[in-house]
This record gives sequence, structure tokens and C-alpha cells, in this order.
Amino acid sequence: MASVLCSVATRGRYNSTLPIVINAIANQTKLPDKLIIFDDNDAPEDMRNNFIYQHLFSILQHKGIKWEWIYAPKKGQHHIHQMANTMGYDWVWRVDDDAIPEPNVLETLYSYSYDEVGAIGGAILTLPFNPDTSKCTGKIEDIDREPNIQWAEIKETKEVEHLHCSFLYRAGIHDYNLGLSRVAHREETLFTYGLHQKGYKLLVVPDATTWHLKNPQGGIRSENNEQLYKHDELIFRNTLAYKDKKIVVLNVGMGDHIVFKRVMPHITNAEIFTCYPEIIPGRPIAEAQALFGDVDQWSIYKKMAEWKWTDSLENAYKKLYL
Amino acid sequence: MIIISPYSKSLRNGKANPKNYPYWKELIRLIDKPIVQVGIEGEEQLVDDFRKNLSLDELGSLVDQCRTWISCDSFFQHFCWDRQKYGIVLWSVSDPLIFGHPKNINLLKDRNNLVQNQFLWWEHTEHDADKFVSPEIVIESLNANFP
Repeated sequence: MASVLCSVATRGRYNSTLPIVINAIANQTKLPDKLIIFDDNDAPEDMRNNFIYQHLFSILQHKGIKWEWIYAPKKGQHHIHQMANTMGYDWVWRVDDDAIPEPNVLETLYSYSYDEVGAIGGAILTLPFNPDTSKCTGKIEDIDREPNIQWAEIKETKEVEHLHCSFLYRAGIHDYNLGLSRVAHREETLFTYGLHQKGYKLLVVPDATTWHLKNPQGGIRSENNEQLYKHDELIFRNTLAYKDKKIVVLNVGMGDHIVFKRVMPHITNAEIFTCYPEIIPGRPIAEAQALFGDVDQWSIYKKMAEWKWTDSLENAYKKLYL
Repeated sequence: MIIISPYSKSLRNGKANPKNYPYWKELIRLIDKPIVQVGIEGEEQLVDDFRKNLSLDELGSLVDQCRTWISCDSFFQHFCWDRQKYGIVLWSVSDPLIFGHPKNINLLKDRNNLVQNQFLWWEHTEHDADKFVSPEIVIESLNANFP
């Protein structure tokens, strides 16, 4: 049985929706192997002193759900999700701190965790908002033209190209873009679209409803600096603009460039950013940083460390790019 | 003519790169062929003929002319491998199975000397002369593989 981590990033909701969310997780018909609350509050508290939380933690323990409370680095929820993404679990079920899943949500999402599937989402309903999503495609190219398919009841399983808010995803396959600002605008769209680009199916499925209370107080995105949203939107738009290209970023040494020469002929339609254009022609690394915010997602050394790599550098490049 | 490329990239903390072979002077004394050293300005000169800061084209021409070469784990071993000119690489803490090429002669004293995480900065690793093979082993390999 594959392992599932349930990850909740929270800010400003100790005494409103967060305890309801924890309760809903404890009442799932399929329990996660572990629940981690990533506390991103400016003034974090020890909730073990709060009687509601004391009971919730007791319930989790009684049901055999391991739990952990981590004080997060206050850099935005994308950093939190990336931590969860790389903790060694097979799947991560990310749940917003104001999104209340029905008891069957994890069980239903998990029932679609086939080998070719990268992420599964259900309906995320914010009543009384109930848009007509019957003609929605869920394709990235339609993102400006249609409401999100998860904003209304989902009648049948459908393959899409991006997911929203809360979903179950295959961990360790694609990185969250850590170049986004602390508001992390579009972070889940970029992340799930990245899974899609890596060849995994994204599904929206019926009978897995999460009630999104959209608490106006607090929230992991409680930030109103317009410039931060613009910064993140630019990264998102650039990602879309290059969606048909294979982005290659060689922010490495000369020797690594030479080894990459053996892999380059196998990559079709590459857009290459390079430190040594005399070895591998391409655009400067600074341009990649400006376009996509974070180039660590293409760091072959970071990837080899994550993969606990023991094979050749050339084969590591093949794994990353082919 | 044999090329030697003695040094790996300088570390930002000023310490010795743990991949730098410590016995070059002893090794050079044992080599009975003309030697050309390649490298960059600021590196210690070990032989009379030291070619510094060559362009990739110049370096390639030189490599094409040599009998073989001896290098630590650096850019140079990849460069020569790419030109299909194979030589001897002197390893210590980095893993030849990851960063090496089987067509080169990869001399590693002991896999137990490899650092556990191969993908961090080398600034975190101390230089240790005991982790390299002796000059006698290098000469033996040179004579056997490139007589």
C-alpha cells in the first residue's frame, strides 16, 4: 500500500476553520499515514495548550494517525508544499486550512491512484457560488476563458491539465516553483501543470467534495501587495508561453556541460539556458531566472541528491530531461 | 608528450580542493616523457612548459597531439573524453561511477573514501592526501596502458 501524507499549510486560522479541517481529516474513511500541520503564523502558538486541539490530537492518536506540527519558514505556502513533496511519501494529500473535505474524499481520490496518474482532485465548492462548468475543458489554454472545473459538482471523471486548491498528488515527481513570491499566486496551477507536462494524467473525479469556506480572515495568502501577484503572474504567463518547449537550464560547471552534450541530441524542441555557450549554445542563466523565477527545479545536483543517485551524470541528465 | 592537469577548481573558502592530487612533484619525477602542464593563471607551475588560460580550441589542439594525459577529477577529464582522447584520472572523494567515464583509466584508492553526499559543495570536505593512490601506482598504470 502506497504511503499518504496529509499536508495542511495554515496561517491566521487557529481559532476558526483549522480545527474543523483537522476534525474532517480525522474522520476520513481512508486515513492518511501522517498529518503534518505547517504553521506559517507570524506569531505561532503551541496549540497543545488549547483544549480543542488537545482533543483533536487525542483523536488523531487514538485513530493511529501520526501527526506533527511544524513551524514553517514564513516564505509562502509553496515552500511548505515543497517540503511535503520531498518527505519521502508516495502521495501527498494537500488540504487548505479553510477547506473541509467530506469523509470519503481521500478514499475516493486514492482509488484513482493508478500508475499513469499524477494527481486527483474533487469538487471544491464555495456556496452559494455555483458556476456552470459543464463545458469546461480543464486545459491550461482555456484558463482565462472558463471557471475552474472544480468549482462545481463533478459529474464524471475527466482528464484535465491543472488542479486547484486541494488534491492528492504523486510526490517527488515535480517541484513547486520556489521562485514565486510569498503570496504564491498560481502555485498549485504551476505545480499540477508541471505534473501534466511530465506525462502524468491529472483527474477530476466525482463524489469527492470539499467545502471551501473561503474564510476572509487569515489564510496562507493573506497578502495584498499587488506587485507580488504581478510577479507571480508573470512567471505563470512565461511558463505558458514556453509550454511547448523543453526548458533546459545548465547552471553548472564546464565539465557538466560537456557531459550534457551527449544528451542534447535526444531532446527535441529545447530552449537552453547555459553558463558556457561555447560548449552548449544557449541563452544566459539570468534570463531563465527572470522568466521562471526559480532555476533550482533544473539543478542536476539537487536532483541527484534527491534521487540518491549512484549512476552516471549522463544518465541523470537523461532522467531529468528525456 | 603527456599533459597534466593538476588542479580542480579553487574553492570559495580558500581551502585546498579535496580533489587535488597531492603528489604531483613526486609523480612528475617518475615520468620519463615530455610533460605539458595546463591550467589557469595563479596555479602552481610544476613543469617548465605550463600553458595557461588556453581557449577550448587551443586546449583541444594540444590534447589531440598528446600521447595521453593525467588529471584530477575536473573539467579536463570530461573535455578529453569528449574528444575521445583517453587518459588517467586520479580520484579521491568524488565517485568515478557518477562523474567518471569508463573509457578513461580511473584510479581510486578506496571507495570507502568517497564522501557520502556526492552532490554538495566541495568546500564541506577536507583535503586528505591519504585518500589518493601513490605516484608508483600511477606510473604503473601509465606504463601499462600508454606504453
